[in-house]
Amino acid sequence: MKRMGRLSLIYLTIVFVILYAPIFYLMYYSFNSAGTMHNFESFTFDWYREVFQDTRLFIILLNTLVIALLSSAISTAIGVLGALAITRVKTKRFQNALLTLNNVMIVSPDVIIGASFLVLFAMIGIKLGFGSVLISHIAFSVPIVVLMVLPNLEEMSPTLIDAARDLGASGWDVLTRVVIPYISPGIFAGFFMALTYSLDDFAVTFFVTGGGFSTLSVEIYSLARRGISLTINALSTLIFLATLILVIGYYFISKQGAKPKEAEVRE
Amino acid sequence: MPEETIIRFENITKQYDNDPPVLTDVSFELERGKFYTLLGPSGCGKTTIIRLIAGFVQPTTGAIYFDEQEISNIPPDKRRVNTIFQDYALFPHLNVFENVAFGLRVKRMKPDMIKAKVREALRFVNLEGLENRGITGMSGGQQQRVAVARAIVNEPEVLLLDEPLSALDLKLRSEMQYELRELQKNLGITFVFVTHDQEEALALSDEVFVLNSGVIQQRGTPNDIYDEPVNKFVADFIGESNIIPGIMINDYLVEFVGNQFECVDQGFYPNEPAEIVIRPEDLEITGKDQGKLQVRVDSQLFRGVHYEICCYDKDGNEWLVHSTRKVTVGDEIGLDFGPEDIHVMRLGETEDEFDRRLESYEEVRHAG
Repeated sequence: MKRMGRLSLIYLTIVFVILYAPIFYLMYYSFNSAGTMHNFESFTFDWYREVFQDTRLFIILLNTLVIALLSSAISTAIGVLGALAITRVKTKRFQNALLTLNNVMIVSPDVIIGASFLVLFAMIGIKLGFGSVLISHIAFSVPIVVLMVLPNLEEMSPTLIDAARDLGASGWDVLTRVVIPYISPGIFAGFFMALTYSLDDFAVTFFVTGGGFSTLSVEIYSLARRGISLTINALSTLIFLATLILVIGYYFISKQGAKPKEAEVRE
Repeated sequence: MPEETIIRFENITKQYDNDPPVLTDVSFELERGKFYTLLGPSGCGKTTIIRLIAGFVQPTTGAIYFDEQEISNIPPDKRRVNTIFQDYALFPHLNVFENVAFGLRVKRMKPDMIKAKVREALRFVNLEGLENRGITGMSGGQQQRVAVARAIVNEPEVLLLDEPLSALDLKLRSEMQYELRELQKNLGITFVFVTHDQEEALALSDEVFVLNSGVIQQRGTPNDIYDEPVNKFVADFIGESNIIPGIMINDYLVEFVGNQFECVDQGFYPNEPAEIVIRPEDLEITGKDQGKLQVRVDSQLFRGVHYEICCYDKDGNEWLVHSTRKVTVGDEIGLDFGPEDIHVMRLGETEDEFDRRLESYEEVRHAG
């Protein structure tokens, strides 16, 4: 038993070291004054200063955030409506067909989605840039939101809707006072899922961006191609830290949300 | 109290797709201020009736009237009825206060009015001081009370209760039965209560409707239904009974298990085949040769209030006896009963035919 415990601990450590080593390696050399990824010379914040002084990079960061927030908000609205529509479909076969179509979008490779969007935009004459990136991000986020909201909707007892109607609620009241609050955990999960997908999307954005518009992932890719500069390391480190803070924040928020429920049960 | 009709069903048939109809040509009237129970096995259509009254489903044919106005196609939120659901259907994202306030909020009532009304409703169901509690942490009995408060705060004219006690344990259930009866008397509104529990139906109601396979088998006071079941289904479903084939020789004379007995039934053709009902508690155990029947004790179960004794006569008919006296398994005993303990049912008689026969011989009795 104890031996097994130690073995699994060693295994786990190795896995995590392999997973995180490249990131820490990258972070370590972001403080290297020599400007290379070997021979650590001395500690410096120069690369970070360069990142913060680069207004172009700042605009790209803003672009990325705006695209992420807008696309996830819009796709959450569309996705919730879609999930509601799917649960209301009467015939089981049609419902399954819709769900399958939804899931195909999730599993199909980003490259294919990106390429097909490029073809579409070229065909109908949409200029590549902010609009095209936003539309394609919404497109790949909607199925994710649908998938996150559906389980909540399915576990909701239909008598809750009957009860609301019985108490005098109109269709709109039922939606806003019962259904939406009930599925709000799924809606939040869907929103954040869409946010993260949009923030780190590279493949789709790479295809449909243009006209000087760029997002962080695309920009880092082009920087890396141009040659090794430690500003990339600094930027990546900052993004990693931001993500870490987000994850920790989410952990505390969800823990707080769960707390009152536990207290009630104990009473 | 004036007896006025509040709900009227006119030849209601309800059918889903191509399945056999859930309700077939059902007609009845409900009076204001009475406690009605719809009683029947699962799938008999009793829940469909209250879903029709509430407006969750529409009749396939026929019409529903509320206060003499047709409401068949009026949506549930426009009807002056409220429902208490089997699973209570309380909103888990709202606390007790907000659950009860829901109906008033969607009517856009003023906040201070809502506060006063919700307080009063919670006082009515003995839940004062629990306004801020969440729903998920409450016991079944408390949730039940919240559901009651949430319904009555809207001051409905008819309260529909869909097996609301089935999820509670036995002791709590009988407590809630008293409370519901009390509530109905205090509010003075019509209750329509759905249950498959015949004891509950008999204990609570002013009037019971016994349903089976989409048809009302019999309606009447609990006493009528228990003492004068119209057919084998009702006799069997309400309480326990011994149902034996027999022949109605003449008025007041019936023959079964090879003997002729005096009874109080009449209005049959001479020598008409019939079914005889004798309730187990009406059979009295006597010595072997003293009773009207001789049976052998097959088995005995202690039920708390009484012994449930299963016997067979020489023809192989089963006789169920409820007695506070203990007997020995394998013994021959006698069973005694009086003429009024025998209830004779005409084969395949409907409720209307039964009522007509009852009326006709009551006239004879009055004339005589």
